[in-house]
Amino acid sequence: MDKAIVVDKLVKNFVVTEKEAGFVGALSSIFHPVKKTVEALKNITFTIQKGELVGFIGPNGAGKTTTMKVLSGLIHPDSGFVSVMGHDPWKKSGKYLKNISLIMGQKNQLWWDLPVIDSLEFNKAVYQIKDSDYEKNLSSLVEILKIGNLLKTPVRKLSLGQRMKVELVAALIHNPQVLFLDEPTVGLDLVAQQALRDFIFEYNRKNESTVLLTSHNMADLADLSRRVIVINEGNIVYDGLLEKLTKKYAPNKIIKVLFEKEVSLEDLQKIGNIDKYNYPEAVISVPRSTISYVASELLQNFDVIDIDIEEPPIEDVIRQVFETKDF
Amino acid sequence: MQKYISIFRISLQQEFIYRLNFIMWRVRNIIQILIFFFLWDSVFRDHHQIIFGYSKEKILTYAFLLLFVRAFVMSSRSNDAAGQIANGDLSNLLLKPLNFFKYWLTRDLASKFLNLIFSSFEIAILFFLLRPDIFIQFNLLNWLYFVLATLIAIFIFFNILMLTNFVPFWAPETAWGAQFLIIVIITEFLSGAFFPLDVFPEVVFDILKFTPFPYLIYVPIKIYLGADISFIIQSFAISVFWSIALWKITNLVYQKGLKVYEGVGR
Repeated sequence: MDKAIVVDKLVKNFVVTEKEAGFVGALSSIFHPVKKTVEALKNITFTIQKGELVGFIGPNGAGKTTTMKVLSGLIHPDSGFVSVMGHDPWKKSGKYLKNISLIMGQKNQLWWDLPVIDSLEFNKAVYQIKDSDYEKNLSSLVEILKIGNLLKTPVRKLSLGQRMKVELVAALIHNPQVLFLDEPTVGLDLVAQQALRDFIFEYNRKNESTVLLTSHNMADLADLSRRVIVINEGNIVYDGLLEKLTKKYAPNKIIKVLFEKEVSLEDLQKIGNIDKYNYPEAVISVPRSTISYVASELLQNFDVIDIDIEEPPIEDVIRQVFETKDF
Repeated sequence: MQKYISIFRISLQQEFIYRLNFIMWRVRNIIQILIFFFLWDSVFRDHHQIIFGYSKEKILTYAFLLLFVRAFVMSSRSNDAAGQIANGDLSNLLLKPLNFFKYWLTRDLASKFLNLIFSSFEIAILFFLLRPDIFIQFNLLNWLYFVLATLIAIFIFFNILMLTNFVPFWAPETAWGAQFLIIVIITEFLSGAFFPLDVFPEVVFDILKFTPFPYLIYVPIKIYLGADISFIIQSFAISVFWSIALWKITNLVYQKGLKVYEGVGR
């Protein structure tokens, strides 16, 4: 398989001027600016194959967005090698830019005061999209995201969710081969989040495009990506399958039981670690090795209506990852 | 090319959205012209007087041409670039297969086009109301040099404005301060937008003529009013030199700026 993205020993530092609070602080920073170097990316190496959909996880300030910006050519790396589809992103060649898209949940590229369709027509001209391709892409995007009724509305009048959808259409109208999605579901309601996830999944599958996705929303990752790259304080701490990450950092599984009759907490505690008991439901966490034993114990000794064995929520796993210092 | 035609079109649309802003900007221009006009009209009580080398009809022509040249040279949209750089919106532009300078020059041309149309109406109305004696240039060569000098002026102004736009690359908080100081105070003052530069002592003008500023307003108008050929040749030499030099500097500073650009706010 072809490598779509190659990142080798990437380093990026930012210089920030620190300011003391208050007026005096502001004054003194004019004359004696205190500069501090922040190591945003310490030494990042990874590759992504063509057609892969990879999740990029990490706490705030871990370096996810910085990596995205380097990959899309917005910021200049201090050292290291970066190549996307054989291009050096920093050179911003037209050929490269026509094949990528960076979507940020918090900012927009649309013409704020003009109807949506104007922004799309503008992109058509800028990306030199053929009429037939444009019509085809537009109609399919409009249909999937259900925004046909919004095309003539000025962008400023759209709700956040609507704008995000339109944003996606604008970012995908030129049919990019590589997609960088930075927090695409920020601020969206659950229905819109799900619609967006379905859409990204479909887009990746249909177009065989390469997608790199960051999100705080764990559901995004659980739904979309099999492979995740975990980044913390400018270092990659995990790169591999999401299931394996779960297994490694979550020694316990979760059993959810629904009881017929009320049972005492003491009886339950003999079985395992009770996370929550609120008759009729109990949530018990159990080491992986003893899961089948515990399940049969439950069924034998209690009146059980329903039993469910689940992986712990991915949020908890990730929290676990960042709390554990020894990777 | 299609790209930039599209930018031109959408810029015009955008300008119309900000009707009120546009009208305010035009009103400011007219008021400035009226002040200029009435000041000099009262200075020239006597019709045959010559002050600073100007007859009454020439100085009033200067006022009217000022309205026109100013609209064409100084009206621009690219001053928005400073804000874009400061708040990180520049990223949107960098991600597109567009040339930064061509993009902004196109948007400026759209703005100039609109301003030109409006200033023509304004000139017609003011002319009708004030009925001043106007100097009309009959030498076609002077017209040609005038147009050429105005085009050079547009390019020089674009570069000066761009340089002020790039300040936020290094100091994101100062977007407006730098522009106000450099464009409104220094550039307009030294370019002859407030009064003809002949008003200065000759020594001052001899120094000024080596800066790019007089070539924005004063020199094009002076050429229309009938400057001698040695003045024209010298002016073209210096202004073309500045065009090239500023263009090189602007590009260099832009490349340096991009290296420190962080695309904040995302």
